[in-house]
Formats: sequence, structure tokens, C-alpha cells
Amino acid sequence: MTLELNRLTNAVAEMGRTIAGQEQTFERLLAQARTWLAEFSDQGGALRDAALKIGAAVPTTEPLAAAFPLPHVPPRFTVIGADGAQIQPDRHGLALYYLINVGSLVYRHGSGETPQARSVPQLCFREQELYEGALLVSGNLLDVRRDLAELTHLADLVEAEPAGPTLALVDGTLLMWLMEDLPAQGRKEKFDAYLAQLDRIRRKGAAVAAFTSRPRYTEVGKLLHLAAMGGDPRQAEGQPNPLERLPDGDIFAFLASGERSALFVSPKPINATVYTSEGHTIHLCYVNVAGAGEKPVVARVEMPAWVAETPPLLELVHGGVVAQSRIVGGFPYVLARADELAYVSGPERQRLEEMVGTAMLAAGLSPSASSKALYKSMTRRAGR
Amino acid sequence: MTDTPIPVGRVLRASTREFAFGCRVLQPDIPAFGSFVRADARTPGDAIYGLIYDVVVQDDLFVRRFVVVEPPEEVVRDQRDNRQVPIEVSVLSVGYREGGRIVHRIPPQPPVTMDHLYPCPPDDIVAFTQRFDYFRLILDAPAIPTDHLLAASLWAAANARPPSARESFLVDAGRALTHLLGGDLLRLDGVLQSIRPEQS
Repeated sequence: MTLELNRLTNAVAEMGRTIAGQEQTFERLLAQARTWLAEFSDQGGALRDAALKIGAAVPTTEPLAAAFPLPHVPPRFTVIGADGAQIQPDRHGLALYYLINVGSLVYRHGSGETPQARSVPQLCFREQELYEGALLVSGNLLDVRRDLAELTHLADLVEAEPAGPTLALVDGTLLMWLMEDLPAQGRKEKFDAYLAQLDRIRRKGAAVAAFTSRPRYTEVGKLLHLAAMGGDPRQAEGQPNPLERLPDGDIFAFLASGERSALFVSPKPINATVYTSEGHTIHLCYVNVAGAGEKPVVARVEMPAWVAETPPLLELVHGGVVAQSRIVGGFPYVLARADELAYVSGPERQRLEEMVGTAMLAAGLSPSASSKALYKSMTRRAGR
Repeated sequence: MTDTPIPVGRVLRASTREFAFGCRVLQPDIPAFGSFVRADARTPGDAIYGLIYDVVVQDDLFVRRFVVVEPPEEVVRDQRDNRQVPIEVSVLSVGYREGGRIVHRIPPQPPVTMDHLYPCPPDDIVAFTQRFDYFRLILDAPAIPTDHLLAASLWAAANARPPSARESFLVDAGRALTHLLGGDLLRLDGVLQSIRPEQS
């Protein structure tokens, strides 16, 4: 409310000029990256071990510069999207609790049927839900619980789906890399629970994938620099990488409408240490989901090994993601709707807090927010 | 009187004269202009009655993306059947029920924020429209389409009755209006025209 925009006029103008100036450098780096991609396209096999060591995208058997056209999808197939939102516990609020809300949409292509929309809220307030040891479940800990809730809901829907080609989609990533920053206590149980959901989807014969819009990963750029350094990891890490800030998505903007890039394996440490042993090694590719004649829209798509290595499932991911993205324009329809169904608005948050207050009063308590929350509610009320 | 178990929304803001409620119901169930609704009053069993005089469907950017292209049938159905369109409905208070007695006056207290709003079942509407004293509250309301509201609510009340009783109800209502609008024959004629049975 006190952001004095007039004081930012000069800075914003300078920002515009700076971005324009960076454009030339960007084009030069892009040309460099694509030259290397073509030059080292067949050297993937020799780069694999070194790539893993330095956190670069790990090549598969597909040539690095390969482009695969949009495959045919079955006339009827199902795409299920799920997404989650949460209300963080608020120590200034009336009571300590958090909420996870998972939204989902089951969309049957070619059926003409109304998609099935769901929204499943879960209120967590018991001691055993609120704490992990001495830690309050919030921030990354809560994000992990939300991710698990999303995937569990997705697996439930996949299992309930009649036989037929089915693609389960999440927004973002299948790699729970957030866990790397969490305390070791309970980490294995969390991974086991998450991977168990992938197993459920695999047993049903469905495909599962994660969709990242406008990805800013630089793992392929790192791989190309490694290749330019003769595949020597020490040299690659010792020498500055000119592509270190060039998003991989831009490198693959040469893909024609509907095409996908070669498959790579994610170099995230947990992929090798956790996912691989359970057969879920996460693979990835880039897909231009834009329609013919439109400006490229490149997304990153992740999938477990059992999808990447099963041609009908890989084609369902590729074709399904493009079909879905073309409905809205650049983003899967099921994920846009799942996000909408999961989203908890400010007024809804406030109403839930009021309901909590009422329930506490009914139970004979006298709920009160902290003084800080009270002053915030006064000073921030206008303009909301 | 039977309660309709499914509320149409919750009260957003209220005064004794009128109140607004928000609902995110499925599109076929959007409450209609001129419908009778009921909110529970503070005393159990008591109620506040109102007439819907405005229904605003909020702007929706997501739908805008589709109106310029030809979306697949599944998307059309999703948008129509599943999307929860935010709707704000304005209601004019026309009376209340107190201790089982129906009163056609401004209620002593408005409903409270977050109270449920229910569509009135036919029994409730018939009981409420046994008399026409509430006409005055409609005709005196500023800045709302009073004549159209009156006509729409009378049709709702007529339709809550058995077909054989509808015409006599509308004739009685017309007589009551004649007393109230006798000094403004042009307006009276307009309202009477719109409740003539052949207008149904």
C-alpha cells in the first residue's frame, strides 16, 4: 500500500534498456548452444558418466539434437491432472492448523463428456499432524506433504479409471528434490510413500508425467559445455560455462510445432540414490506445445523410466501433453483447472479462520489472534 | 413448512432493507430474478424472506480465452457444468416469520454474514403470499426495477399454487395493486399487463 511506484519510474526504464541490451548476448549464446548440440549430437554415450558427476543432463541412447514429431494419439484417451494448494500454519492466528486442498480434473478426450472436477480439502490440526519431532510442519515440510497428497489423489483417480489409455499429469516435477534440504529423520518413509504412488499408477498401466511451463533448468547447457571440454568433468567444472544462465527451454525453441527433444535423465542426486533403485529413474524431454505457425512454447516434461522406455506410454505423454496444451494455449487444460480447483482465495482463508473461531467458541474457548495479526488486519484492510 | 436442505449461498453483507449473497453454484441452478429466498433469523424457527432483484455473474478471464476460439465439446461442458461461476445475488427484504406468524414488514434484524440462504419451497411461498402487504415494500424500494420485480414475484407465487388457483390469485393481486397504484394509472396498467394470465 505504500509502494511508491513513481519512485521506480527510472529504475523500470533502465530495466527495460538492460533487458534489451542482454538480447544480443542471449542470441550469441543460443547460437553457440545449438552449434554444440548439433556437433556433439552423437556423443551422448561417451558423456553419460561425466554428466552425472557434474549435474548435467544425462544423455540416453537418443541423439542429443534429435527431434521427434508429434505422434498419433488414440481417438479416445484420458488425461487426469491434479494440483495442490495449502494454507500455512499461522502462529499469529486463532489456532495452529494447516490446510491442504487438492484439485483435480479427469478429461476424456474424444468422449464429448463433461470432465470430472474435484476439490478435496484436508484440515490438519492434531499434534501428530502439526509436528515432525520438534519441527512445525510448514514451508518445505508442508510442500512435501502437499506433493504427496497430490500424487496420492492422482493415483486414486487412475485406479478408479476404466481400462484405456490414461495419462496422469502433475504441475512441476516428479523429483522431490525439496527433500534434500529436509532433516534425514523420516525422509525414507516420505520417499517410500511418494514412490508407492508411482507404483500404483504403473500397475494400472497408465502413464505419469510432470509438466513445467517456461522451464529455467540449465542442465542441457551444462552437458554441452562438458562436451565442448572434451567430456572431461574436471575441465568442465574448472572453466567458466558460457551457457550457465541460458535456459534449456530456449535451446530447444528450434523444435517444430508438436515436436519433442531427445530424452535425458535428470542428474539430481536423489534420482540416482532414491528413484533408480525402485525403477523410477526420472527422464525428461522438452516439447514445443505451440500450434502450427505459432511462436514456440517449450515445456519440460518429466516421466519415470518405465514410461520413457515403453513407446505407447511415451507417445501418450508426448501427444497428450500437446493436445492438452493446445486447448488453453501453452499449458495443459487439466492442470489449469486443477490449479483453479485447488486454489484457496484470501476471502476463503478468512472465512475458514472465522469458522475455526466459531468452533472454538462453541467448545468453550476464547480464541484470539496475536496483537501483530490484529494490527495487520487493521492497517491492511483498505484496498483489499 | 418444509425446509429445502440445499442452500443457494451465503450472506455476504446485509441491512434490514436488503442483503446480498454470494454463490458458486452450478450454472443451471443460478437463482432467478423474482425468486423468493429465505434466511434463518436469530431465533430458531424464525426466518427472513426476500426477493431476488439482481443477479450478477462476475467476470471470468478463463472463459474469455475460449469465447474467441472453438473449444472441444469436453471444454464447453466443463465450463458450463463444472466451473463454479462467482455470482452475487441481491435480495430485497419483504418480510419475516416470527413465532410461526408471517409479517410483511422490514425485519427487525438483518441476516448475519455467512448465514445460509435457501430457495423458498412452494409451501413457504404460498403461505407468504396469502396477503399482499409486502407490495408496499417493493414499490417503495429505491433504485431497483420494482415493477418488473413485482410481476416476476407474482408469477413465482402463482406457479407455487395448483394450476386451478393461479388465475384467481393473480386477479386478487391485481386488485391489491389497484389500491396501491390508483394514483399512477400508467404504471398500474404496465404492472397489470405483465401479470395477465396470457403473459405466462
